Amino acid sequence: MIKKIYLIGNPNVGKSVVFSRLTGVQVISSNYPGTTVEITKGYLQLKDERLEVVDLPGTYSLEPTSSAEGVAVSLLKEYSKDEIVVINILDSTNLERNLLLTLQLIEEGFPVIACLNMCDDAGHRGVHIDTEKLEGILHIPVIPTCAITGAGIKLLIEKIREAAPVVRDKLIHEERWKEIGRIVEQTQRLEHRHHRLRELLEDASVRPVSGLIIAAGVIWAAFKFVRFIGEGIINKFTDPLFINFFQPLLEKLTFHWQEKGFWFHLLIGDLINGKIDFKQSLGLLTTAPYIEFGMVLPYVISFYFVLSLLEDIGYLPRLAILLDNLLHRLGLHGYAIIPVLLGLGCNVPGILATRVLESKRERFIASTLISIGVPCVPLQAMIFGLLGKFGGFYVAGVYLVLFSLILILGIILNRTLSGYSPEFLLEIPPYRFPPLAILARKLFFRIKGFVIEAVPVVLLGVLVINIFLYFRLFDFVTGIFAPLVNGIFGLPKEAVVALAIGFLRKDVAVGMLAPLGLSVKQLFIAVTLLAISFPCIATFIVLWKELGVGDVIKATLLMVTVSIILGGALNLLILR
Amino acid sequence: MKKISLAQAKKNRKVKIIEILGGLNLQNRLMNMSLHKGRELVKLSHIGLRGPVVVKAGRSILALGHGVAAKIIVEVE
Repeated sequence: MIKKIYLIGNPNVGKSVVFSRLTGVQVISSNYPGTTVEITKGYLQLKDERLEVVDLPGTYSLEPTSSAEGVAVSLLKEYSKDEIVVINILDSTNLERNLLLTLQLIEEGFPVIACLNMCDDAGHRGVHIDTEKLEGILHIPVIPTCAITGAGIKLLIEKIREAAPVVRDKLIHEERWKEIGRIVEQTQRLEHRHHRLRELLEDASVRPVSGLIIAAGVIWAAFKFVRFIGEGIINKFTDPLFINFFQPLLEKLTFHWQEKGFWFHLLIGDLINGKIDFKQSLGLLTTAPYIEFGMVLPYVISFYFVLSLLEDIGYLPRLAILLDNLLHRLGLHGYAIIPVLLGLGCNVPGILATRVLESKRERFIASTLISIGVPCVPLQAMIFGLLGKFGGFYVAGVYLVLFSLILILGIILNRTLSGYSPEFLLEIPPYRFPPLAILARKLFFRIKGFVIEAVPVVLLGVLVINIFLYFRLFDFVTGIFAPLVNGIFGLPKEAVVALAIGFLRKDVAVGMLAPLGLSVKQLFIAVTLLAISFPCIATFIVLWKELGVGDVIKATLLMVTVSIILGGALNLLILR
Repeated sequence: MKKISLAQAKKNRKVKIIEILGGLNLQNRLMNMSLHKGRELVKLSHIGLRGPVVVKAGRSILALGHGVAAKIIVEVE
């Protein structure tokens, strides 16, 4: 009786895409090893039965060498072998390397179906696999699929019941590789192809000089593109909508109220020169939706569009090669760039992605650096929105301070923490150009996630702030912290509230700075402090789960210390 | 035939692994990625200042930290 279906395969063979096809559950997939760091479950309706399908993190072998691989292998052993079916997903363009796991699975007596994924890409690259011959050699069903388009998935589902254990001698590693060599020779035919543009680009991006030029170009273009799309959405779409449509509507609905008491304060907030000001009014219907939809969401869309594109093309592992040197100085290796880039979107997936790093030491360094020095998109959007009007110089200044902080802290952590960091060992995927529909689906999925998670917290935040402000409940807290904030950071005591709200959400916190009438210097210090001081509550919870209590306390102490020193230093050093 | 480490080998050279120094853990990790004794590789690139080495093994492109590359002893034809 089959109870579960496991999807297993080497990293970056498209397990998550097959999973989405089988279950209809959307999961993030990218073109680099280690996109899936968590176990995802879904269901497949097979005639009148509902089977659980489990998407496992990628593994090269049944003898795991990293924690994510360990999880995959231990889960496989949870059920007895007649209760499960293992769908082994292989990358058709690289049969040789993928067969190691397949042979191990068969030798261990699992009922296996081999799914030769990405068969369209293999065709493009001149790789032809004789699936019937392969079936004959392995004695298991072999099904060519192209999960991105859905080809072959139906056949795969039909074959699930045919999976049965096969008897096969256990081999030692080197013999197994020899056996694989023989199998590949019999079943795979390579068509000779001249180097095409794609291969030339793949090559150029990992060579020292051309690689750096390409990297600089890609980063510059990515940054420009994020701003271009983000500003475009704001200027052409959201701002006109808010100012020309929503504002008159709100004013019409509420301005005739006789008494502008508690409810008016809660929903609309303060009027600036007798009018609603979306950036400063701080009401539940004014500033709250404007921050999320008018300032942050456009950049969330543009950032994730560019990131998803880079992910799916497969550029990021190449960037990792070029940055390996630098990241080594910080006790990390090149692949740590993946969590950092994800952290630029939102710290939560960034910290989860540190699981691709092997040691606990690396994960501590990477998580701490991300939560201190990597500002998330909502925070960055607000920094642009508020500080940008004083000139790009100040915005660039914030990034420069954060970047220097990451370098200095990383070097210090690397020198002071015991242990050493393992070396870089990574498979570099070929460039792939995803169909736009796939990209759009992934973008939609991420934006939906953002809206679901952010909007309730923002509304709640603004609600709580307004109630507190109305009943003057903040006065007590501001009184206690005023000496610190005023004396050391040179900020007015009202900024205490904004800094405290930063624990809830960074974008709302920056939004609260807007009505305070701060000078450029004060604003610069305040947003920098918001970036480095304390992570928002969602990040904090993930840090806690990933690092454990002890390390979270260490990281928190570090954040508080760094904030006080840096805030004070900035206050002393900046003259204006 | 001369024996050198993969880190010392020249770019675009075809080499053959004859020994992997270092612990069992590293040997296993490399073995899982098809880098084992007797395997032929082409060194594609080496990022300067003790940066990573990029090799082509079969149809895979692999990036190895400098330290790992220094532990892989190869034979140049």
